[in-house]
Amino acid sequence: MKTPRNKAKRPTMSHQGAGGCLRYFFGRAVSNLRQNMVVNAVTVGTITLALLIVALFLLLVVNLENAADSWSERVQVTVYFDRDLTPKEQTDLKNRIQALPGTANVTWVGHDEALKRFKGRLKGQETLLEGVSSDVLPTSFEIALKKQSRSSEAVEAYVSRLKTVPGIGEVQYGEEWVRRFNTFLTFMRLVGALVGGFLLVAVVFIVSNTIRLTIYARRDELEVMALVGATRLFIKMPFLIEGVLQGLAGGLLSLLLLLAIYQLFLHNAGNFLSFNPASSGLAFLPAEFMLGLVLAGALLGFLGSLTSLRRFMADT
Amino acid sequence: MIQFHSVSLDYQKDATALQNISCKVAKGEFVFLTGPSGAGKTTLLRLVYGALFPTRGQVLIDGQNISRLTRSQLPFLRRSIGVVFQDFKLLPNHTVFENVAITLEVLGWDGADIGKRVMHILRQMGMESKIHLTPQRLSGGEQQRVALARALVNSPKILLADEPTGNLDDANKQQIMNIFKEANVKGTTVVVATHDRRLIEQSHYRIIRLQGGQLAGAEEAGNENAA
Repeated sequence: MKTPRNKAKRPTMSHQGAGGCLRYFFGRAVSNLRQNMVVNAVTVGTITLALLIVALFLLLVVNLENAADSWSERVQVTVYFDRDLTPKEQTDLKNRIQALPGTANVTWVGHDEALKRFKGRLKGQETLLEGVSSDVLPTSFEIALKKQSRSSEAVEAYVSRLKTVPGIGEVQYGEEWVRRFNTFLTFMRLVGALVGGFLLVAVVFIVSNTIRLTIYARRDELEVMALVGATRLFIKMPFLIEGVLQGLAGGLLSLLLLLAIYQLFLHNAGNFLSFNPASSGLAFLPAEFMLGLVLAGALLGFLGSLTSLRRFMADT
Repeated sequence: MIQFHSVSLDYQKDATALQNISCKVAKGEFVFLTGPSGAGKTTLLRLVYGALFPTRGQVLIDGQNISRLTRSQLPFLRRSIGVVFQDFKLLPNHTVFENVAITLEVLGWDGADIGKRVMHILRQMGMESKIHLTPQRLSGGEQQRVALARALVNSPKILLADEPTGNLDDANKQQIMNIFKEANVKGTTVVVATHDRRLIEQSHYRIIRLQGGQLAGAEEAGNENAA
């Protein structure tokens, strides 16, 4: 006895090939979206708001990271010399320090420059320094470090390497400040990861439940399709494409809303909050974050549809 | 041919829906499946199109044991079976045309062929002027005719109907019965589950009677009171 599979050939799609099938499914998804306009508008709206919350959080994270970067530029190592260096010694040492791994920039601070800076610090009380010769203050090299060498351990390792350079003077780098700064950064990142994690779970929950409700409202369609002999893939594909389109639309709309909020309220917020003095205002999301947000929307839509379909197709 | 061999179905351990059912429906036959509410008529139909599987026994369609079909094979069986229900199960947001076309889209028919075939069957059902309407704007009888068009559009080998006239007035009942008969004349095996005595008495078809999930008898129509 032959099986129905042997008897019934797989149907020839009206559009042949994978591309043709995809076109068919895509067309069907778009037509379904049009036919269920209100439900889909509510779904896209919910995804938009959920992703907007994520986008605002990302904007905060990006600007905090920028602020941390600019603050970490203050992590620098100073080498003081209690004797005057000849110009040749000065050049040789500068080159050696510059060659050390982790060095970003080396600046020579001579007696005059040191005095000028000191006076700058004593603003209003400059008279105290009248009669003080610039020779009193030591000359120094100020070494700015590369970003990856600004952690406590990296700075310590750098200083150890620096001390091996012949002719080097007394090395200072404000170890307590560096340690506290790095502890603060770690703490901020941990809080960020926790809040971000909770936010992500909440968004996944909201989006998947919203999509589940829209599919639940159309469960008869799943039943009818199964009844007339549609394969599981044939039933699922339009719903999955709809989910991706809803997610993409939600992602794009959330970005547009974020841009509007940014332009209206946040663009110059940094100025009066003194939040990030290094820049003129809050930065917007970098391109890769924007792309990531839209793709995350698409992925959420896809996974939300997939899990809902699994649940509702169990009986068909 | 549809064959039930000692079919039993337990929903739960102590809730038996069907018990030891053995009967046959020959190819091209028209059969009424009758019995009071809860007798197991719907369950028996669901076993035929693979929405349920027997706990014990075998259901064979043209010799193929339904229980042995994989999940991916089941759709191909269903393409040879048309099903209509008391509540029509039409897609509310789709037009009459789309509701019928869906069966052929699933089969992969070309767009132009779908249009011709759908129009042909809807003309037969007297629904050609309402192809653009959604089901909410149709009467019960019209909705059932659309459901029948969807079930018959690909000329299935078997047509199953679960209380198809339950929501219809007498005129519509007769119209629907005539469509069943026409399909049967064209070679489709028809199984109509109903507890409408008048519908059964007006025909001369064989009756399979269920009572409490068990076979209570099979006889010719018109002798129902004697059973």
